[in-house]
Amino acid sequence: MVKINKLLLGTTSLLSLSLLAACGNGDEESGSEESSDTLSVWMMGDGNETVQPIFDAYTEETGIEVDLQSIPWSAAHDRLLTAVASGEGPDVVQMGSTYMAEFTDAGALLDISDYIESSDALSPENFFEGNVATTMFDDNYYGVPWYTETRALYYRTDLLEEVGYPEGPSNWEELYDAAVKLSERGDNMYGFDINLKEQTFGPMFAKQNGSEIINEAGEPVLNEPEFVEAIEYLHSFVEAGATTNQDLGIELSQSFGGEGIVPMFISGPWSISMIEDQTTDIEGKWDIRTLPEGPVSNVSNTGGANLAVWSSSDHPDEAMDLIEHMVSVDSLMTYYDTTSSLPALVEAWEEEPFQDEKIAVFGEQLENSEHMPLIEGWDRMSQAYLSSFEQIMVGGADIQETLDNLNEEVKTIIE
Amino acid sequence: MINIDKKLKIIIGIVLSLWGLITVIPFAWMILSAFKTNPEIVSTQPSLFPNEWTFDNFRELFERLNFDVYLVNTAIITALGFVGLFLNAMAGFAFAHYDFKFKNFLFLLVLATMMIPGQVTMIPVYLLLNQMGLTNTYLGIVLPGLTGAFGIFLFRQFFSNISEEFFEAARLDGASDFYVFFRVALPLSKPIIAVQGILTFIAGWNSFLWPLIIANDQSFYTLSVGLQLLQGQHGTNYALQMAGAAFMVIPILIIFIIFQKYILTGFNISGGK
Amino acid sequence: MKSKKAPYFFIAPAIILLLMFSIFPILIALVISFTDMSLAGLADFSRINFLGIENYQNILQDKVFLQSITNTLFYVIFGVPLVILFSLTIAILINMGQSKYFSFMRVVFYSPSITNIVAVAIVWAFLFNPSESIGLINQVLGTVGIGPIGWLTSTEFSKISLIILAVWRGIGINMLIFSAALQNIPRTMYEAAELDGATRLEQIWYITIPQLKFSTFFVTITTIIGWLQFFEEPFVMTEGGPLNSTTSVALFIYRNGFQNNQFGYAAAGSLLLFIVIILATMLQLRLQRRAD
Repeated sequence: MVKINKLLLGTTSLLSLSLLAACGNGDEESGSEESSDTLSVWMMGDGNETVQPIFDAYTEETGIEVDLQSIPWSAAHDRLLTAVASGEGPDVVQMGSTYMAEFTDAGALLDISDYIESSDALSPENFFEGNVATTMFDDNYYGVPWYTETRALYYRTDLLEEVGYPEGPSNWEELYDAAVKLSERGDNMYGFDINLKEQTFGPMFAKQNGSEIINEAGEPVLNEPEFVEAIEYLHSFVEAGATTNQDLGIELSQSFGGEGIVPMFISGPWSISMIEDQTTDIEGKWDIRTLPEGPVSNVSNTGGANLAVWSSSDHPDEAMDLIEHMVSVDSLMTYYDTTSSLPALVEAWEEEPFQDEKIAVFGEQLENSEHMPLIEGWDRMSQAYLSSFEQIMVGGADIQETLDNLNEEVKTIIE
Repeated sequence: MINIDKKLKIIIGIVLSLWGLITVIPFAWMILSAFKTNPEIVSTQPSLFPNEWTFDNFRELFERLNFDVYLVNTAIITALGFVGLFLNAMAGFAFAHYDFKFKNFLFLLVLATMMIPGQVTMIPVYLLLNQMGLTNTYLGIVLPGLTGAFGIFLFRQFFSNISEEFFEAARLDGASDFYVFFRVALPLSKPIIAVQGILTFIAGWNSFLWPLIIANDQSFYTLSVGLQLLQGQHGTNYALQMAGAAFMVIPILIIFIIFQKYILTGFNISGGK
Repeated sequence: MKSKKAPYFFIAPAIILLLMFSIFPILIALVISFTDMSLAGLADFSRINFLGIENYQNILQDKVFLQSITNTLFYVIFGVPLVILFSLTIAILINMGQSKYFSFMRVVFYSPSITNIVAVAIVWAFLFNPSESIGLINQVLGTVGIGPIGWLTSTEFSKISLIILAVWRGIGINMLIFSAALQNIPRTMYEAAELDGATRLEQIWYITIPQLKFSTFFVTITTIIGWLQFFEEPFVMTEGGPLNSTTSVALFIYRNGFQNNQFGYAAAGSLLLFIVIILATMLQLRLQRRAD
């Protein structure tokens, strides 16, 4: 029995030790143990393929080694979470714009305002406004815009021509009219895709109708007339059978290619290569245009990612130097070549690839594109919105009533 | 076994074949899609067999994966997993054939560990491993999943099926407890070791989360992590994914077929076949 | 003689590892469930507030959580018996065959367990597609004048579709366990029964099934636990929709907790699920003991 007692004692003391240790763990342990001539960098996706050439050039120039860790997109949040928990992160990290608020709030990212102010290359004026907004919290900067995304309207030129809009619909009325006419082609034919899983879809239309999401007083305004009207407008597509309120469970090649079950949809630049890769039968039969003009504007939704310095980094100076290298035109062009991600640096848009007609549309749309509110509870808020939007579009719930409830729910989330 | 005649055997064979055919479709689709182009996979007219066989997916896969590193890591982690199988067997044996204090409580404790979703425990476990200095080590990667309630429980149930007399006989000859376990119990449990072995192999071979989270650089990544890296932010190259999945499943099939032999050579009191 | 110490040596390594990597984290989760732990709290413990049982009160009033409980019960009640019945049937049928071909069928029925989840999602989305021109199941049903059915898109059928999918995936492993256990049934028992004139069905009913008691018990418990944690199928196929009709408790915990960093709330949900599973398991242990 003695042995057992020892065993139990050993186990419990080990447990309590680790419990204490885990709780006592804080910022005193710093991120990297490497010497100052190595920087650790976390990038999402296959970094070997996409960013390694940029780092190789940097190492050649400065002699500083870059230790890259690529993180699968699917596990990015988990990995960042554990880094926050242990305080041990990289020197430079790629941060999706929607992650910025929560991770800044958690103190995971370094305030780099001083660096930004003292560098011409990193000056906010060099980048698209919508992206700069995602790096700024309480008038301080926590990141440098890296690549950008915005949404535009994809449409089948051949089918739209048949209903009288060869250039695609240019405003809300035309969008509705075109969608209804297209849906009259037959059973299981639709005009326009309303994305029930996209958190920014409804809010983006609301903005085009002059609505805010969160007003200056910090209160949600999701049940005000401007917002409600926009949702009613989207719901009218369901009523007219111009959109499907079911997930068709099909790929782009099936919905957009072929006979064009859904010949208009809103998406970001990534869909260009998806259409080119996946469909073979509609070459020359599709195009992209800026979003149809709403009653107030045709503002789109900005996304993308920033580069940030982890708060526990031992080498912030070197990290910022690397970031400066990464947002140079040369580096951004390398990144564009390997990932098709659009640079957030305005200057880079003078380069040749961005003169391409289709891509230039996104350049044009970026002039009129904003990010969704950057608040810590955005994820929860958008989950609540998605659920309400589904109730309206699929479940046929009363619009005003549902949005009233949503607004109340969002109020408690923001508090 | 139940004796059956030829006619019944053929009927059963046909029933199983039809049922099996439906069951195996997604698996077959996965393998065959590895030889398709991506547009073909997502085309409006899906077909099981590729219109045109291509090996480009495999070529791209092997070019882009740090294959040598990932394969070695995966093999090491899988091999270490088998230590856990052995620990599970020991614990299962004790729960089945010994009476000791707190036995029921401890067993319920073991079962309880099955009942909590992994996401809840991820962060505490990570912090613990971090404190123990096990980040960036193979040990850190395998420890969290080394033993598991499922395995212990499975062994316990199996050992409970074996009559106590087998072990008593050995003990009367003066064998120690360890001898009984290694030389009597383990050899008797070949079928269940084979089942557990298959599961252990698959778990190790597919390990994803801990190699990713414990590693501070890519030199500890496994094939699964490497495969996930190939996935873009928007949309997926299904052809590449299927090539990876098809490649990863080959060793599993080999192991399955090898181990299956042991499932069938189970011990039989009457002397077997 | 059996040594008194031996069992402790046998269980010590496993128990220590489980204490460290499972029990200890559960205790941490218990503590967290009484707080408003979020991402910020994770970085800086001083920002964690103690809430008492507020998380538990809120979650029990959360309509989606309550719906996820009903959904999960539906999954368990229909899914578990089907999995056990099918895997047992297949294991017995394969075992009767005793030939290379029948052994090969074991690989076939195990294949869903080793099929990549992305492939599973693509193929089943195609099979379940609501359109009669694309979805294979609806195509087949169409030829006999039924449908088309919105397998994944209607609230009436979505749960059933996921059960079909999960049963398909779940048969393999349990069939394997039954297969291993079948090897342990002494051949002499069947021979004796046959001499007594028992039919094959009687042999299955009076010999095979009782002899598989331990394995059936094991499969039942682990399957129930697995289905109470039903997650992957709704996660990849429906994301819980339409209108939350397929949201399981585990998916709810994942979505509301880990996507939104409300760890306290998520931990409370997990602990409630944990308690339910413990109760279900203890009930079964008791039932088995009574049956013995």
